[in-house]
Amino acid sequence: MGLDRVSRRQFVSGLAALGSLPLLPTGAAAAQDFAGRSLISSGFGGSTMDIIQKAVFDPFDKATGARSTQVPMQSAAALARLKSEAGNPQIDMYQFSGGQEDVAKKEGLIQPLTAVSQLDDIPVGLRDPDGSWVAWAVIAEGILYRKDKIKEPPRSYRDFLKPEYKGHIAFPAITNGYGVDFLVMLARAFGGGEDNIEPGFEAMKKIKGETIFKAASDLPSLFGQGDIWIIPYDSGNAFKLQTSGLPVGFATPEEGSPAVNITAVVAKGAKNADVANAAIDYMLRPEAQIEIARQMRWTASNPKTKLPADLAAEVPDVSQLAKLNRALINEQRAQWIERWNREIAR
Amino acid sequence: MTAAGVMTAGKGAAPSRIFVPVLIFAPCLLVYLVFFVWPQLSLLAVSAFDRGQVSAAHYIRFFSDEYYWELLGRTLFLGVSVTLITLILGVPVAYVIARMRSRYAALLLVLTTFPLLVSAVVRSFGWMVLFFRDGVVSNLLLALGLIDQPMQLMYTLTGVIIALAQVLLPLMVLTLHGVLKSIDPDLEHAAMSLGAPPWLALWLVTLRLARGGIIAGSLLVFSLAISAFATPALVGGARANVMATTIYEQTIELLDWPFASALSAILLVFVLVISLLYAKALDRRSAGEAAS
Repeated sequence: MGLDRVSRRQFVSGLAALGSLPLLPTGAAAAQDFAGRSLISSGFGGSTMDIIQKAVFDPFDKATGARSTQVPMQSAAALARLKSEAGNPQIDMYQFSGGQEDVAKKEGLIQPLTAVSQLDDIPVGLRDPDGSWVAWAVIAEGILYRKDKIKEPPRSYRDFLKPEYKGHIAFPAITNGYGVDFLVMLARAFGGGEDNIEPGFEAMKKIKGETIFKAASDLPSLFGQGDIWIIPYDSGNAFKLQTSGLPVGFATPEEGSPAVNITAVVAKGAKNADVANAAIDYMLRPEAQIEIARQMRWTASNPKTKLPADLAAEVPDVSQLAKLNRALINEQRAQWIERWNREIAR
Repeated sequence: MTAAGVMTAGKGAAPSRIFVPVLIFAPCLLVYLVFFVWPQLSLLAVSAFDRGQVSAAHYIRFFSDEYYWELLGRTLFLGVSVTLITLILGVPVAYVIARMRSRYAALLLVLTTFPLLVSAVVRSFGWMVLFFRDGVVSNLLLALGLIDQPMQLMYTLTGVIIALAQVLLPLMVLTLHGVLKSIDPDLEHAAMSLGAPPWLALWLVTLRLARGGIIAGSLLVFSLAISAFATPALVGGARANVMATTIYEQTIELLDWPFASALSAILLVFVLVISLLYAKALDRRSAGEAAS
């Protein structure tokens, strides 16, 4: 798009747009030219990172000429890296899956998304009111179970206390994001919640003798060995286990599926903030979100995304998810971990 | 450094006697100062501050809490157990290889280092296969009738001890091998010709002379065992918390850097004290025997 070809009308509207900074290119991410520029983002590692690279970053690079790289690190480690490089970030863009964006915003480590044109399409709650972060995908949590051992799909988090499952339960440690959510959902199932965690600890104490694991990488071994039947985790990992041939089902509990936001943020002072903004805008595009849903069963955050019928049956819609009060959870997390280490893991 | 150089040069008397060693040492010293001493000190300094003020709060929090004492105790227990196991298993292996006349001795020594060639993460996944409830170890013990129901070593401290002993054993064997190799077999022969049975000769002569190697190997294994992170994290899981995994948790999960720093300072001090006491105890005994 050379300057000489700009019509008078475009020029005028361009001027008008300049007046209303920040500049919002209206759905014209493809028109942006980042040839020779690079973008470094944190990534989740493993096959997840590869799929995101192919579904989002590669097409983005093709459209804009940028060169995007993901550096694998878990969300908590990513936040620590962001904090340690505050002011002079080597990584332009971060992806989080454990609510770290709240902390990052509070500590002033990220900058508002100024050029993400589809930001307003995303429902409130899946984006920061101040525009500091946006969820570009959502993972539905629920109950994973061995279909050959448990005939009737579990219906509630209360089922973890059923005597017939004793000795066949595994659950994630509280340092794993899903471990915190499991505690909160147990509390909700027994009359508590984010503001009253006591019932959660009470319930968990009854199953403290069961297998406790730390990372999703243990899931195949746990389900594969046969004597673990039921684990609270997510639909994405259920799908991975199914594709690896294990008879694992995913059940949505009646308390609701807690949703884990997969968020994207731009580090404060990032050298390639403009490229990062454009990449995040690309992530919100329906075609990218359909690809993510197809390959990982992650829920699309953009309501304009219309999943094909076959996928829609397997991926919960964003409106069907329970919402946890992440801010309230984050405030108490340190305290809960201390208590968990003493009362559950000991 | 330069001031000292100028002063000695000014006196005119053999400036090279100080200058040359300093010059030779300087690059190493510089690297060491910049990349080790300075970061280490600034890391430890973090632990002495609480909300911008000098404070012992983080240390008080540690020492006034039974949970953290247990944590420290478990870590030291892990270190001592792993050291003892590698010592008991390592001495015979190192002795046999050192005394071997076969040309395969070198090959055997290389074979013992194999565990070190596999990354900690891959190795831990291997242990998962062995340690889970229906894993190889459990099934084997069941088949042999040693246990009557499946047992799980995964996510237990015992599992961590076994896994660490396996990977640190080569370091013990290599250290001991070097020392045992340098002991003249004729000394044992002399002891036996004077009437000592072979086991006594081994005990009185060979092992006494190998004491330096035993100290070095033990310290190496002990310090690596208690600072190991990947194996306790992957094999030990949530229940077998040690200092290293807790430092990680405080740094990465809770972002409580001052407390994490206090934890590492405490671990460092305990390791130093225990190592010094151990080395001194063994040294004094050998000195006493030499005198008598």
